[in-house]
Amino acid sequence: MTGAVAAAIAVGLAALGAGIGNGLIVSRTVEGISRQPELRGALQTTMFIGVALVEAVPIIAVVIAFMVM
Amino acid sequence: MNDYQNMVNRQRKWMLYLLAISVLGWGFTDYQVIFQSLILGQTVGFFNLFLLQKKTDVIGEKAAANQMARSFGSLSRFASAALVVVIVLRFPEHFHIIAAVLGLMTPYLVIMIDFIFHKSSKTTSTKRGE
Repeated sequence: MTGAVAAAIAVGLAALGAGIGNGLIVSRTVEGISRQPELRGALQTTMFIGVALVEAVPIIAVVIAFMVM
Repeated sequence: MNDYQNMVNRQRKWMLYLLAISVLGWGFTDYQVIFQSLILGQTVGFFNLFLLQKKTDVIGEKAAANQMARSFGSLSRFASAALVVVIVLRFPEHFHIIAAVLGLMTPYLVIMIDFIFHKSSKTTSTKRGE
């Protein structure tokens, strides 16, 4: 039971952080692309790398949570 | 072809190379458990990479057309990572957890190394005054 609670807290906090980070990255990118559509390739590349860096952490958290559970 | 499509193709190419190396290791070495865990992790990691690239492209396309994009698909990527861990924990005699997690993290390493390498090659290729 405590393992399940620990897993839930770990995944929840990691997903919260990833959600905030992804939201900031995607909102700024969408804003930039809608202002200057000709910069779409460069902005998409930056967004992709940022999202990949942000999403690596919650995936590790999911793995650890399932191991703890 | 723009920068983004070039980057996507490079990353897919390097993931396929690494997957091929893992398959060779599985076939020709004695560390079969390690290499089949790596293959499992890299396959799901490659699927995650494919989903991330596709979603990024869709969001850019929608933003350029002033339309609304629905979601970013994070949940499916977390769920596929959880699926790998569940498979590994269910069959511990066939899979090794650390190798599977390393395989799952391989696309992120590819992305970071490709970014650093491409950025440095881009900055060194420009001459002074350009």
